[in-house]
Amino acid sequence: MATSELKVLQPEPFKQEEVPWRFDIFARWPWMKRLVRMRSFQFLLILPNLAMFYFFLMTAVFGTPVGNRNIIIVFVWILWWVVLIAALVPLGSRIWCTMCPLPFFGDWLQRRAVIRVRSGKSPGTENKFFGLQKRWPKKLSNIWMQNFGFLFLATFSALLVTRPMVSMVLFAFMIVLAAGMGLVYRLRTFCNYVCPISGFLSLYSMTSTIELRHVSNDECLKCKTKSCIRGSDKGWACPWGVYMGKLDRNNYCGLCFECVKSCPNDNISLFARPFATSDVLLHGYDEVWKACIMLVLALSYSVVLLSPWGQFKNWANVTEMHNWGGFAAYAFGQALLALVIFPGIYYLTIRLAKWYAKADNVPTKELFLKYAYMLVPMGLLAWIAFSVPLIMVNGSYIISVVSDPMGWGMNLFGTADFPWTPFKPDWVPFVQVPILLIGLYYGLKGLHKVGRGLFSDPVQLRRSLLPPAALLLGVTFVFLKLFIG
Amino acid sequence: MVWMETAGVASIIIVIVGLPLLLWYWQAVFSLRKYPAGSKVIDLTAVAQGGIWTQDRVAGYNYWWKTPARTPDIQLNQGEHVVVRLHSPDVLHSFSIPLMHIQPVDMPAGHTEDVEFDATRPGELTFLCYQVCGPDHHSLLGRFQVKGNGKSENDKESW
Repeated sequence: MATSELKVLQPEPFKQEEVPWRFDIFARWPWMKRLVRMRSFQFLLILPNLAMFYFFLMTAVFGTPVGNRNIIIVFVWILWWVVLIAALVPLGSRIWCTMCPLPFFGDWLQRRAVIRVRSGKSPGTENKFFGLQKRWPKKLSNIWMQNFGFLFLATFSALLVTRPMVSMVLFAFMIVLAAGMGLVYRLRTFCNYVCPISGFLSLYSMTSTIELRHVSNDECLKCKTKSCIRGSDKGWACPWGVYMGKLDRNNYCGLCFECVKSCPNDNISLFARPFATSDVLLHGYDEVWKACIMLVLALSYSVVLLSPWGQFKNWANVTEMHNWGGFAAYAFGQALLALVIFPGIYYLTIRLAKWYAKADNVPTKELFLKYAYMLVPMGLLAWIAFSVPLIMVNGSYIISVVSDPMGWGMNLFGTADFPWTPFKPDWVPFVQVPILLIGLYYGLKGLHKVGRGLFSDPVQLRRSLLPPAALLLGVTFVFLKLFIG
Repeated sequence: MVWMETAGVASIIIVIVGLPLLLWYWQAVFSLRKYPAGSKVIDLTAVAQGGIWTQDRVAGYNYWWKTPARTPDIQLNQGEHVVVRLHSPDVLHSFSIPLMHIQPVDMPAGHTEDVEFDATRPGELTFLCYQVCGPDHHSLLGRFQVKGNGKSENDKESW
């Protein structure tokens, strides 16, 4: 009796199940490994992106102030956003970070090199870095700043996605901030802790179908140099401060492939894996809140930009409507929903699950953190569903703006006068609904997988899953109601 | 490796310096080549707020905070071929010169539309917006002053 009681009260160790399949991309196609091992690989990806980005900034300043006729708005907030959320993240993890031009100047200042590696000594590394090389404060070593940053930007999204200059000021500020932080702090503190884009990429890259990992754990254990995190004469120390021997999630791997170059044991490879199946654990409250904020914002954007309730749009569009009271209500309501109400509902759901499953052996905190994974695939697919009308209804702007990116009367490809032509707008809900249901499926699947790792008793497992599954269904229902009425 | 680094840095400098130069070249030189040689090219922007025709550049950097200057009468010489490049930074406007029988030309926001005519006679030509574009629509009026050259019979006739 005493033994059985003890067994019940002791938390069971979390059992991470093996992923169904994993496929070594570098082993299958060695040319890809040779490609990423080239010192110039990342630079060659960044350079055209940097040129394009620089051009976009100039179009914002010198081009037309009309959003849908300026390439910065159309390419960044329609094309880039849709490609990022619907293709790059689910299929390529943080591949955007590989080519992102925002931290380029910070890296350049820090390394005084754009392609080559500098051997030498800097704190904790075998590379020579420049700048003050200070440690980022431990209290800020989380994604809370990214959470608040994204929420803040989302509050002003009506401005951001319609005014070229506002987008330009934001991106220019981010470049300057990243460069400044590169001079003061070690490695990529801007990307790791500040960049609001990086925040949601880190969360949703968990679902991605690729991962960069070590091939053999034994090799990592035997490795004396730890060149992946310390750097070597072949590659820079991981800009994200990741030790590949312990990397088991995509969240904080920016896919710069420096570790592939520096690993002396040739022990790092790129793997393909099933969608939303492998990385199923959130590690802290900051990540849980990130999942909540992103889901709420997908909902809020859908209400403001797509719903028939124009009042919300008017409130968000404060610079034209000058309704400051309405804007304050919108901003406060959105923040309250994202930071307090939805996380509160989720917390109550977890308390209910714990009570219903009689799961006294699992701390509420553990259940709260682990079951939150269900919000990740759901959130990603909700964002994809939200983005569908962006491309189907407004995608034709891309065709005209590519010929006349600044509204100056150019006609580079003969399509400058291509009219706004929504593509099958009546099909939008029929595309959105299956996407949402896929999100629900993967959310439930992830929930079940996490639950199996926590509870071995099938009855307890089932009972613990019911309340969060009901919450997920409720969220799906709200989105469906918004999308199809 | 040194050459690669040098090439990398050089390519960045080319991008940073070259792109603005390329844009300047397009605007100041290349875009004018499509018009007949000797044409007088005038950039006219219609601004709904205040009902202003302006020759100022209205772009992202100044649109939100600066009220552009209303254009004074635009001086033309008789016989000149005139190209008016029409811009709208806000809403749909239209451009017309009734005396020249130039019918209203739509100016969708963010687009550039060209109107060409020959200033064949001296006199005053009023141009205006024909699209109700806001509360200040009625103020969207402007004038070309065509100065006679004293060589043609048409000198004696004005518009």
